[in-house]
Amino acid sequence: MMKKLSVGKIIDATWTYALLLIVAFIFFFPCLWIVLASFSKSGSIYSFDGFFPKSYSVATFKKLFTDTTMYNYPRWFLNTLFVAVGSCLLGTFLTILTAYTMSRFEFRARKTMMKTTMILGMFPSFMGMTAVYILMTQFGLINQLWGLILIYAAGAPMGYLTQKGFFDTIPKAIDEAAKIDGANSAQIFWKINLPLSKPIIVYTALTSFTWPWSDFILPKLLLKEKDLYTVAVGLMSLDETEFARFAAGSVFIAVPIVILYFALVKNMVDGIAEGAVKG
Amino acid sequence: MKRKIALVLIGMMALTTLAGCKSESKEATKEAASPTNTIFTGELEENVTIQVLENDTAISKGYFDELIKAFNKEYEKYGITAVDANMDQYLDLANDGPYGYGPDVLYQANDVIMQYAEGKHIYPLPVEQLDCYSQIPEAAWKAYQVDVEGNTYTCGVPVNVQAPMLYYRTDLLPEDWKSNWDDNKNDVPDMVENWNDMYAYSKEIHEVNPDKYGYMKSLYDVYFSSGFLFSYGGYIFGDNNTDTNDIGFAAGDANKGAWVLSQLASNMNEDCIDDTITTNAYSKLADGTYFATLSTPDTYTTFYDSLVEEYENDGLTEDEARDKAIENLVMTSLPKLPESGDLTEENPSLIDTKTMGGVNGYAISSYTKCPNACLAFVDFATNYEMIKLRNEKLGIAPAREDVAEELGGLSKQMYENLEKGNVVLMPSIKEVGQIWTPGQTFFTDLAKDSFRPESEKKFKDLDALKAGLEDMCNQISDAIHTLE
Repeated sequence: MMKKLSVGKIIDATWTYALLLIVAFIFFFPCLWIVLASFSKSGSIYSFDGFFPKSYSVATFKKLFTDTTMYNYPRWFLNTLFVAVGSCLLGTFLTILTAYTMSRFEFRARKTMMKTTMILGMFPSFMGMTAVYILMTQFGLINQLWGLILIYAAGAPMGYLTQKGFFDTIPKAIDEAAKIDGANSAQIFWKINLPLSKPIIVYTALTSFTWPWSDFILPKLLLKEKDLYTVAVGLMSLDETEFARFAAGSVFIAVPIVILYFALVKNMVDGIAEGAVKG
Repeated sequence: MKRKIALVLIGMMALTTLAGCKSESKEATKEAASPTNTIFTGELEENVTIQVLENDTAISKGYFDELIKAFNKEYEKYGITAVDANMDQYLDLANDGPYGYGPDVLYQANDVIMQYAEGKHIYPLPVEQLDCYSQIPEAAWKAYQVDVEGNTYTCGVPVNVQAPMLYYRTDLLPEDWKSNWDDNKNDVPDMVENWNDMYAYSKEIHEVNPDKYGYMKSLYDVYFSSGFLFSYGGYIFGDNNTDTNDIGFAAGDANKGAWVLSQLASNMNEDCIDDTITTNAYSKLADGTYFATLSTPDTYTTFYDSLVEEYENDGLTEDEARDKAIENLVMTSLPKLPESGDLTEENPSLIDTKTMGGVNGYAISSYTKCPNACLAFVDFATNYEMIKLRNEKLGIAPAREDVAEELGGLSKQMYENLEKGNVVLMPSIKEVGQIWTPGQTFFTDLAKDSFRPESEKKFKDLDALKAGLEDMCNQISDAIHTLE
């Protein structure tokens, strides 16, 4: 009986691992391909030996940062960084405030506002693009990176429900205890709830950063000058013969996200763990 | 009292309204009489900056930089400065222009400019005032003309003629070409003189080595493929490309042109079905996979750079590679076609190959605040020296007769082809936008036919090809007229 069970377990484990490996390979292969393609010496997708380049070199990466006459990648990269960091800071701040308010305070029309935002959130953001474009022309915010930051940050609180859910899990008794000790609402938020909310702040910051970092539609709509392009728009504007540059640009754009993820993931895990003990 | 005040106010309102009407109608009459004279007064706006949108090749090859430097030096005394508009070359003037985000001067193909002209996004120009006016042929000016209420307005200034050219490599010719592939002994290989020999040579190359090809081109590309139809009597729209009720891709013996394409496809691979060959031709011609292809003159530098890179990879120095690439890369006019359409016919009677073409040129945005300074820029950019420099740097075929005459060779040949009507210019009406998708559908189907088993082939004879072309015309007609 014991023997039968262990054979079954082995088969189950083998099957599970095989399936996981296949799924991992399916997701990993395109990444591997683009990384190898970015190191292609010939620079042309048509000179590949099957799936992979015949020979490798770092020349494309060098070209990406030095040959800026037509395609100013370093400038696009800095533009993207500026927009993403700005949106991340402002967006996170606004989202957390919105979520906290909705979670902790009872006021008139609170439920109506929650329902309205939930329904509005169901509509895809690009539905309002024409209106956004016309508004931005009236405010003189076309060809302005700040314009992008304002739109991303202003739109971020619409997705406050996840954060509200997190604040709902922090017992209100803590707030009440602080109130008895003489703390006002701002102190309760800054000194008590915010330190407990590290995981959700990190999560909010990461999502607020990654969305503008990879968005294409809005920057394409609002940025007309090549020097103001973000990386997504810039890469799309590359000539059809610039495949290696496209691949190198696509690979390099992932670097900040990876760094940010590794730098912040610890806080997320720690925060979740702390939350678990506390709860 | 109140009634009196009300009557006075009503009277004032009526007067204001009438005054407004009178003033507007006067303005309107003046505008209609001579719109260009009121805008292009000849008085240069001083201390202004002109945003100029050029094409990417002109920027990357350094020509545009030289142009604006020379212009800025010349017009320094007026404080006029031309700068790169720093925008995507495929701009959307119709949407961005009204809000002030478009360029002042734009360089585009005639069909694009004339679509803007229909939407009144660009100014009609007093072209007779320009230095280049007498040097540009009537056919090129016509590409920029629009008739409104009986008046003809010219909305762009031709710079260069764009039409398909044959690119091939002399070092990929057979060693014995002078004895076996030059029947008329004119020192020009027969395969670049007529399509029958090109077909035969392509077949030979591919049979010897299945990885190598002779002539390769995406059939899918309507711009390049439709020339074969025009050569046998096809046309786009009737009445000088203005009558959209008369769509002529199936006219005359256009089906013979489709047959030629189908025969050429039989020596290609399946990449000819979509635009793969258009994209990979630079690298494939350079690495010797393809012997010849079609492209426009402005891509010469891209072919050249790819070949230089290939030679450098083979171990040559940069100078050696450049010299060898100049020697081996040839851009020439298209081979002649057999009158019968049969590429296997021996000693065929030959006819000229017609091509679809365009005229690229400058236009001035209606949203510019300095039209006279813009006109000065256009005048400067189309003068003799600048067009000659443009040819040297970019290899374009100039629309100016004096430059084409001096350069001789292909530039002159292209100019003559334009005048002879062998370059069929893209219509300058917005309905031309409806020809591409039905055209691509037909040519894709035609290309696929070469790879279908014999029993499943759709176009087995000339009648089937005729029916296919007629279907394509009907689809274009539906696309144009259904929602009218």
